[in-house]
Amino acid sequence: MPDQAVATGGADGRDGARSAPSTRRAAVRVEGLWKRFGEQVAVAGIDLELPAGQFIGLVGPNGAGKTTTLSMVTGLLRPDMGRVLVAGHDVWSDPVEVKSRIGVLPEGLRLFERLSGRELLGYMGRLRGLPGEETDKRATQLLDVLDLAGSQHKLVVDYSTGMRKKIGLAAALLHNPEVLFLDEPFEGVDPVSAQTIRGVLERYTASGATVVFSSHVMELVESLCDWVAVMAAGRIRAAGPLADVRGDAPSLQAAFLELVGAGGRDAGDSLDWLGGQAAR
Amino acid sequence: MSAASAPAPTAGRAPAAAPAAAPAVNLTPVFVRLKLSLIRNGLKGSSKRKAAYFTSLALSLAVACLAMLGLAVLHGNAHAGTVVVLLAAILALGWTFMPLFFPSGDETLDPSRLVMLPLRPRPLVRALLASSLVGIGPLFTLCLAVGSVVAVARGAAGIAAAVVAVPLLVLGCVALARSVATANVRLLSSRKGRDLAVLSGLVIAVGAQLANFASQRLFQAGGLARLEPAEAVVRWLPPASAVGMVDSASEGAYGVAAGQLAVTVLALALLLWFWERSLTSLMVTPDGSTIAAAGPAGKRESAGGTGAWGFLPAGRTGAVMQRTLRYVVRDPKTKSAWVTALAVGVIVPVFNALQGTGSLYLACFGAGMLGIQMYNQFGQDTSAFWMVAQTISTPRDAFEELRARAYALALVTVPYTVVLTTVTGLLVHDWSGYPAALGVALALLGSMLCTGALASARFPYSIPTDGAFKNVAPGQAGLAWAGIFGGMLASALICSPVIALTIFLNVTDQQSLTWIVLPLGAAWGTFAAWAGLRIAAPRVARTLPEILVAVSKG
Repeated sequence: MPDQAVATGGADGRDGARSAPSTRRAAVRVEGLWKRFGEQVAVAGIDLELPAGQFIGLVGPNGAGKTTTLSMVTGLLRPDMGRVLVAGHDVWSDPVEVKSRIGVLPEGLRLFERLSGRELLGYMGRLRGLPGEETDKRATQLLDVLDLAGSQHKLVVDYSTGMRKKIGLAAALLHNPEVLFLDEPFEGVDPVSAQTIRGVLERYTASGATVVFSSHVMELVESLCDWVAVMAAGRIRAAGPLADVRGDAPSLQAAFLELVGAGGRDAGDSLDWLGGQAAR
Repeated sequence: MSAASAPAPTAGRAPAAAPAAAPAVNLTPVFVRLKLSLIRNGLKGSSKRKAAYFTSLALSLAVACLAMLGLAVLHGNAHAGTVVVLLAAILALGWTFMPLFFPSGDETLDPSRLVMLPLRPRPLVRALLASSLVGIGPLFTLCLAVGSVVAVARGAAGIAAAVVAVPLLVLGCVALARSVATANVRLLSSRKGRDLAVLSGLVIAVGAQLANFASQRLFQAGGLARLEPAEAVVRWLPPASAVGMVDSASEGAYGVAAGQLAVTVLALALLLWFWERSLTSLMVTPDGSTIAAAGPAGKRESAGGTGAWGFLPAGRTGAVMQRTLRYVVRDPKTKSAWVTALAVGVIVPVFNALQGTGSLYLACFGAGMLGIQMYNQFGQDTSAFWMVAQTISTPRDAFEELRARAYALALVTVPYTVVLTTVTGLLVHDWSGYPAALGVALALLGSMLCTGALASARFPYSIPTDGAFKNVAPGQAGLAWAGIFGGMLASALICSPVIALTIFLNVTDQQSLTWIVLPLGAAWGTFAAWAGLRIAAPRVARTLPEILVAVSKG
């Protein structure tokens, strides 16, 4: 049940110049989180402590339980067991404190797509309790920075994937949350939009906020994150500063394959008929 | 027709012939075979689909044969001409609008699939027309056309005209459908086209009501003779003019028949020419998706908070009302439900009043129809409900959310009910009952808001966004029906004190006191709605994840 290598907190990693993460309070604490869908156990008891002020990657193969975990952490899915604390407040018993502190961009859920990009931001800001004028001011700036000003009056239903992710990110940032949870924010996004999203997120974490995002693109995680948690089959296989998790492996990709037990798998000889030199 | 046909795209028939030098192969049999294979392959593998196809084939054939026989029986009837001419016009109308509401029914209909093939427009149009004649729809039309001409053909001239008229009518209908579809293919393949398809449910719902009242009225008001003026015009409108021609020829009016034949043939030729032109232009211009991406940003809408929206309250209440009302206009499913409710709400009291069977109290029907829109509020959000869920932390937030949605509904329904009751009052000349009727309507509306809020919290279910007739995700139909029917019964119970008071005042002949039902009904409705929202709100706040799961299916 409990995982073999749960390295919570994080010893001082590669970045000595940064203030030591271990001395900070945790942005998110997850204790014994379980979720089962019928026969299938999606999340099998997770304990995690995510340090504040860092760029945190939750990596794992498809079906590892990343989306389920993020949904439970953000209050969108009720766990069967376990506790989640954001900035010290329980997500399920103290939603007032938690919901104003977090921003969410889930994967696979819709937006209010029959609103234009600007209308969507205006709507979300007012739902969050921001004054109208302040909402509109922030919306204008976010639309500008995310390169959406030109299509702000188009309906979201007509947006491309990259534009949807960007408007979703804007909606998640509007109320200036302390912790931002993004589920596969770069999935299906073109390189230009990805760079824009990246720039905004880097600026946001530099100010002391925390970003938690899930991905299965290791290169991306390696280049963006300070801290990673590796998930497979509903469990955490390793967690800690990037350098610690990578260890001696040449890349995070290699370390990851080893951790999830896919390192030795090879296409091997089973496809020996495939290729130019083989017999037809 | 020019013989400049395309090089053969199907080299399979003529082995080893150089494609460029191949003689002009007749495309028509190729396309007819293609259509037959598409139908056959569409049925492969799925026994359910096969069953559905053959059931619909058998049903339409049975209906077509019955209709054909029914029409044939009309032979010799004085009104036979009127009936068949109008029937042909309705048939043509159906064919014209069918492709707009049921796109993607025919794969050979989509010219973008043919764009890479070296085909010239004229043989292509011929081939497409021929392949369009294969299918259940054309067979059905053929049966009706045969029945129609049998009903009116008399004498040698009539029979000769009938032999010409049947193919002209069927070809005219099919050509109409294809040219309308081709001219609108850019629309049909876009998001707007899919929206339009969803609205077809609305057309059918409202159309059925109108047809019902129209037929009742027709049979009450002296029957078919009333339709003759319309028929005099329609018999000159192609392709119904083909049937008109048979009638004219049978009555010996050969000049008129010739004129009608000329009009029919000319219209068919024009239609084919138009189809060929739009097909050609379609094949050499980029499709809608590219244009949308390359074009400048869409229309400028007024920014939030300006104009009439400025009158809405600030904060969550105003924002939610604004979003709800925008969805009524922009979301095809929501729009379809609202317009159906608004239209049926008018049709029932007004048409009943026009027929002399009206009552002021039928105006309550509109309030009830619109009240149903309060049901499954969160299902209407689809999985976008997570955005709402993220902002609800307390029962107070949930109450404000539900209250704003109820306000948005009331903002339309209350004035609508007042106007509708007034119009019905005008039509039935019954002003003494007016305050009571309005009071009952408002009490009913309040009760519907109350039970709607409770059902939204207790029985949320997904509304699939595609398809005009799929309003519940698979497996949730029981939940939906339980919510709506249980809710409607409960609404009737909740406003029963107001109804009982009205009945009491009327039965005991205290007409002068019925005005009291108006303020009482309004107050009762307001109280019921408030209580419902109050009770529903804590449950919504408590079960946000469960509601999200329920509305995210399908």
